[in-house]
Amino acid sequence: MKTAAKHENKILLMGNPNVGKSIFFTELTGIHAMSSNYAGTTVSFMKGRFNINGAEYTLIDVPGVYSLSPTSEAEAVATRFMESGARAVICVLDASNLERNLVLALELRQYDIPIVYTLNLTDVAARHGITINAALLAKELNAPVVSTVAVKKQGLDELKRQLEAILAAPDGCKPNARACGKCADCPRSHSANPWVRAKEINRRVSTKTPSSPGFLDRLGDAMLKPFPGVPIAILVMAVTIAVVVFGGRGLRAVALLPLVRQVIVPFFTNIFTALLPEGVFLNILVGEFGIFVISFEWILALVFPYVLLFYVAFTFLEDTGFLPRISVLFDNIMRKLGVQGGSLIHMIMGYGCAVPAIIGTRAATSRKERIVITAAICFAIPCISQTGALVTLLSAYAWWMFPAMFAFSLFLFVAVTLVAGMFVKGRVAPLLLEVPNLLMPNPRAYGRKLLTRMKHFLHEAEIPMMAAVLIAALLAETGLLNRIAVHAHAIVSGWLGLPNEAVIALILGIVRREMSVAPLVALDLTALQAFIGGAVALMYIPCISVFAILAKEFKIKIALAITAGTIFLAIFVGGLINHAAQLFV
Amino acid sequence: MPINLYVADKKSRFQVTSVPNIGLLESMGLRSGTHVTIQNRYALGGPVILRVEDAYDLALGKDIALQIGVEQVAAS
Repeated sequence: MKTAAKHENKILLMGNPNVGKSIFFTELTGIHAMSSNYAGTTVSFMKGRFNINGAEYTLIDVPGVYSLSPTSEAEAVATRFMESGARAVICVLDASNLERNLVLALELRQYDIPIVYTLNLTDVAARHGITINAALLAKELNAPVVSTVAVKKQGLDELKRQLEAILAAPDGCKPNARACGKCADCPRSHSANPWVRAKEINRRVSTKTPSSPGFLDRLGDAMLKPFPGVPIAILVMAVTIAVVVFGGRGLRAVALLPLVRQVIVPFFTNIFTALLPEGVFLNILVGEFGIFVISFEWILALVFPYVLLFYVAFTFLEDTGFLPRISVLFDNIMRKLGVQGGSLIHMIMGYGCAVPAIIGTRAATSRKERIVITAAICFAIPCISQTGALVTLLSAYAWWMFPAMFAFSLFLFVAVTLVAGMFVKGRVAPLLLEVPNLLMPNPRAYGRKLLTRMKHFLHEAEIPMMAAVLIAALLAETGLLNRIAVHAHAIVSGWLGLPNEAVIALILGIVRREMSVAPLVALDLTALQAFIGGAVALMYIPCISVFAILAKEFKIKIALAITAGTIFLAIFVGGLINHAAQLFV
Repeated sequence: MPINLYVADKKSRFQVTSVPNIGLLESMGLRSGTHVTIQNRYALGGPVILRVEDAYDLALGKDIALQIGVEQVAAS
């Protein structure tokens, strides 16, 4: 069997959404899959390699599904995986919600693939006063059942042992291994409706002792009530923004800016000035806009603190189950805008980075909703890198200027959503989601996810950022910028009221969103110019990575339309603000 | 007499009598015969939150809730 081709050594990881499937994947393969508390993040599947008894297997994290009846894309994908065959299936069951989970458990047995069941979230079940007799369940399912608390690594060794046992079993009908339908008492011959069987099994194996709900359950329920849910949600979001904005400013002022200005930049400046003669080449390296100056000034001191804090906060909120709760609470308002509450999750992701947010809209229930939310993200929602740069740019003038920009962003969001909703044909499906339990994130799982997110950010942003820095250094230090600036005079200076050199922001902004703000910080702008520059940057082309993802996820036509739209709107509205303000100044 | 879920009152326990033809609803465990209680309902055309079989919560948009028929089982 060891000689079998790798792709034939497939093991499928299956289960309902929100049962902790992705954590099993991480623990077994060592590759981190993003595990989240809301349905829809595992739209595309993940795979990773792992070893059992010296043989290598490919573990596939199949999208979470409630059943195998092909009512959604995810279910169709899950069914296809089962049909294409595998060496074994690990089916993760939620112990706190066994009956519904058993439906999928039973449906999986229709295929001739051995299954190991894991009874996960047994800690949450215990909190709800539910105990499940795993041995009896194993008998009912005619397959091994392992009790686990995956986030705490409990039961994983036993799972591996059971997996080893069924993989070692020769082909044929094995008791406790599979249901091939060949034996007389084969569970496959139970023709009963899986829903009826699930109810029956659940009644036999689980006992529920009345328990008073714990603090988290009561808080989780309270957060779903209009009162105090809405005030709590608004408070949580306000605190999150404060943590990111003030924390980011603090981190920049106290640690990163001194580090960059007093240690890193002087270090490189000393080395290169000692080695190289004065001239353009030296300036490109360590001049005011030199590569070794702005790459640290812009990336490390301007963007990094905000990115870090955003993902610290977002990952926490995501793992607690906060996001589905606000989708529900604000569904009514979102519906007035022509989308549904679930879109809020994509919108909030967009405040981090537009790329995963746009990929996340795959989970949207209709094409119309996808396009409307994607457009709103591109036009109106600054990514965290840009937000960091905007905070620094605007806070230098007055405390209210960043809040004003944030309000402007929300206004744009509403306007773009309404307008796009009018133009895109189709309808938006009503909200339909499971509200997961409120959870305290497990520190280990949380830490690892945060680390993965940061690594991913650095990996994705590295090349475009360096490209932007290189372009900036070449343009500014060779004098090329001044020559270009003359030609852009009419738009940049005449219409937008910005100094000619600000054209560099519009050039770099094509590559990275924060780069349409970063050069402005050093330009000695007036408060009005800073606000206009920030507003233009906010509406301007999201960035080259977003363009790529738009072209990939939709048609190139839509990518081009959105890009052209953002450029036009940015310049047009920026100029309007300028000229309107001139009337009062 | 079955009524639609959207207007069902919050204190009582209901049994589902009819569901619209939305596959995911059935997959999520909302079928004819399922027991539900209404946890929350939101103003301005917001959704309804159901506790299904005392086990888990589903949020249903108004448009779906209007199409689900329920019958009261016992007041609590």
